[in-house]
Amino acid sequence: MSLLRRWSPWALLLLALAGLLGPILLGEAEKTVAPPFSRPLWLDRTAPPTVHLHLSPEVREKTLDWIWEPPAGLALKGTYRLPPGTSGKIVWDGPSGPVPLASLTGAGSLSLDGRDIAFRLRLGLSPFQSPLETLFADRGSYRLAYEGPEPEALSVELHLSGGRWGLLGTDQRGRDVFRLFLAGISVSLLIGLAATLLATLVGTSAGLLSGYLGGPVDSLVMRLADLLLALPLLPLLMVLAGLWGRGLWQLVLILGLFSWMGTARTVRSLTLSLREAPFVENLRALGAPTWYILGRHLLPEALPVLLATVTLGVPGAILAEAGLAFLGLSDPRLLSWGRMLHEAHGFGAFTAGAWWILLPPGLGIVFVCLAFLDLGRFLEEKADPRLRETLP
Amino acid sequence: MTYWSRRLLGALAVLFAVLALNFALFRLMPGDPVTSLVDPRFSPEAKEALSRAYGLDRPLGEQFLLYLKQTVTFDFGLSFVSGRPVWQELRDRLPHTVALSGSALVLAGTMGTALGVAAARRRGGAVERVVLAAGALSFSFPSFFLQLLLLLAFAVLWPLFPLRGSVSVPAPQGAAFIADYLHHLALPVLSLALLGFGSWALYVRNLMVKILGSEPLFLARAKGLPEPVLLWRHAFRTALPPLLTLILLSLPGLLSGAVITETVFSLHGVGRFLLESIQGQDYPAAGGAFYLLALVTVTSNVLADLAYGLADPRIRVDRRKGQ
Amino acid sequence: MIAARELRLRYRTGSRQVTALDGVDVTFGEGMTTAVVGESGSGKSSLVTALLRLLPRGATLSGTITVDGRDITALSERELARSYRWTTVSLVLQGAMNAFTPVLTLGRQIAEVLEIHRGLSRQEALIRSGSLLEETGLPGAWTGRYPHELSGGQKQRAAVAMALACDPLYLLADEPTTALDVITQAEIVILLKSLTKRRGLGLILVTHDLALASAVADRLVVLQEGRVVDEGPTEEILASPGHPHTAALLGALRALEARP
Repeated sequence: MSLLRRWSPWALLLLALAGLLGPILLGEAEKTVAPPFSRPLWLDRTAPPTVHLHLSPEVREKTLDWIWEPPAGLALKGTYRLPPGTSGKIVWDGPSGPVPLASLTGAGSLSLDGRDIAFRLRLGLSPFQSPLETLFADRGSYRLAYEGPEPEALSVELHLSGGRWGLLGTDQRGRDVFRLFLAGISVSLLIGLAATLLATLVGTSAGLLSGYLGGPVDSLVMRLADLLLALPLLPLLMVLAGLWGRGLWQLVLILGLFSWMGTARTVRSLTLSLREAPFVENLRALGAPTWYILGRHLLPEALPVLLATVTLGVPGAILAEAGLAFLGLSDPRLLSWGRMLHEAHGFGAFTAGAWWILLPPGLGIVFVCLAFLDLGRFLEEKADPRLRETLP
Repeated sequence: MTYWSRRLLGALAVLFAVLALNFALFRLMPGDPVTSLVDPRFSPEAKEALSRAYGLDRPLGEQFLLYLKQTVTFDFGLSFVSGRPVWQELRDRLPHTVALSGSALVLAGTMGTALGVAAARRRGGAVERVVLAAGALSFSFPSFFLQLLLLLAFAVLWPLFPLRGSVSVPAPQGAAFIADYLHHLALPVLSLALLGFGSWALYVRNLMVKILGSEPLFLARAKGLPEPVLLWRHAFRTALPPLLTLILLSLPGLLSGAVITETVFSLHGVGRFLLESIQGQDYPAAGGAFYLLALVTVTSNVLADLAYGLADPRIRVDRRKGQ
Repeated sequence: MIAARELRLRYRTGSRQVTALDGVDVTFGEGMTTAVVGESGSGKSSLVTALLRLLPRGATLSGTITVDGRDITALSERELARSYRWTTVSLVLQGAMNAFTPVLTLGRQIAEVLEIHRGLSRQEALIRSGSLLEETGLPGAWTGRYPHELSGGQKQRAAVAMALACDPLYLLADEPTTALDVITQAEIVILLKSLTKRRGLGLILVTHDLALASAVADRLVVLQEGRVVDEGPTEEILASPGHPHTAALLGALRALEARP
């Protein structure tokens, strides 16, 4: 099949998989993982990265090679439950010797921060001395370990905050940009496909009825289409989103109900050309009802063209959704690419020079749109090329 | 019915539909219509007085007539946010939006037409490849993304242009004001033109390729006419009426682009006013701004229609044997 | 005299090679009417494009065309435009339904060849255009009209006027009567014949209509599948066709004429 030799189906498949599996494998995108505007890990390797070291009953020891300046902050958080009557401790061991960070007895929770005075005093420092200078006095191999009896439960995490994190850094709220990007895939694809399917459904019904019935129905539908085409679409969508709601399904509904016009025109012209075809005349003469002719004969004829129209319509819906989200007219909980750009624009990504927040969502949108355009062109060539308007 | 009266009637129908849509959008939404038209923070007495002024206590049909009267006279009520008449707010901003979209249209149109003609003339050349690529990008590149990139590149990393605003604060006086205004407008207009010229060029190219391969052009070539005469007097002149239709088709998109552009570059304009009104739930202002944008679109459609009619003798000249 | 030798015209459409002219040798004399007859697909239209050297994209032409001793296959595009097309050989196209540029007046389209090839001022050229229209039986004031305001026959008359504007030596007429009604067809043929005779032009009439060709032409050239299969004075060919294809065409013609 020649379809398999195009790049677009594979690209879309890969993207959809990443969108589905990413959140499962990498976890919640909403979570704060590192300081705001952290750079990507592979950038500026002279700056300390953000590191999370997690201890559990199975993994009671973690090692770390530290070749940078001391990190900007440190926090130790978690819960534990030790066998009754025993005690243990969390130890930080490095080139300059072991330092006990916390001692554990019974069951409880830990919440220590490098900025706490109590913590500094326990390390034997004055309240004005930074514990990080002491803990990271030398470069070399460090070890975080739990020492003590077999714990019944242990979940302790040491956060070292640096300026770098992950594949694509973090945004203004310290969220992982790569995870946000993956979360955005499903929103874009879902809204793009659902809105286009809705628009195609409406457009096909309108076009079939208009072309087949003709007369007043035809002029009514076509005038309505002309009217909607003459309106500035984005302001209209903005008003609707502002008044009627900004959730995922509201957006789908709004986008779908205001972009069926092109499909209706295509289907109408197709139906007009088929209406007079001999086999349709025969069916009519045999007394076939209108819905039967439309549904069983004209619709299947229109299907290849429709498939191409749907595919070519997706970029428009994705761009419209991204536009609304960029303008801030989408649900803030909906982690879409447009939303990412909205936040990048609104919350100082520019002044921070944080291009790594800007590029992934934008390029994501461009890439998905190009893929759908490529796929659509292919399907269009496969469908009867004469029946489509040649307007770009 | 002649072409002209048909067109004018069509425009009036669109205008009426816009009015009806605007009326329905803001009044038939969920919740109490009073809160959507009268500032909810007003005292009950003031609310009642304003409700009466807007006829919100009357039946829907009467409300519509009153609304028609008020809208046609540009009486959109008072903005919840500023307390000023919405029309005054809009009047301040409209010239900026027109300056932005108008210059972007002219620039994109000129660039697109020149490149499209060049591409059609030398099929398979470098210009044609550029045009095809730019066309594909203009259908898949979100305007705000390109604009954000431009902003990052030319206002932050290499600060040639200001980051935000329509003028500097404080604004300079006299000729310096105009220079300052243009300086602020340059990047937004450039970005809109950059986004727009691809689809123009693609359309012009397709049109010109079709025309250059047609019988009249074959005959014109047989006449031994020089290349420029062939290209401009015969081919381009034939392409002109459909090109004017393209302006007609691109206007709604242009205004949509203006909304985004004004937001990205924090420009003073109707588009950003609409956005801020929607976000601030300032419904009279949002209604007024939407109506104005729709009105500008419809008016430009009528103008483009008139221009089309004037450019195409088959429509202009329907003496003797018109159809 | 136009003499074509070993004309070969090939088109590339996608990966397919189509040979439209396959070694055509043919001559067209001055001051006489030659009809090129053939079915559709025989290469008639290709011959017209080759004689004007107006080849479509992807076409290659070999062989020579000499016009009154000048080898036009050696001319550059600029020289062709300046001193060959329309001044030596002009053209009347099929039906002329779509042949005029729809957005320019007839006067403009006739006058421009006079301005460019004869150096007339715009005013002079327009006046001359009016008298050319009158010569073909149209009102001279119609220079201000647009093509869509004319009927098919009127447009074809205007096309003839335009073709005569620069006093060419030869007039190529490519199916000039197709898409016209029978009476108008006759009028156009008579007009072409009388005007070319009066001016001593060589008329090259390309047609699928053997009846028309034999009624008008001094010489016949019969084309089939890109080759000349028969050529000679009209009477001779009609009396004793030199090729089975000509005989077949003639047979069809006789059968038509024999019908009541």
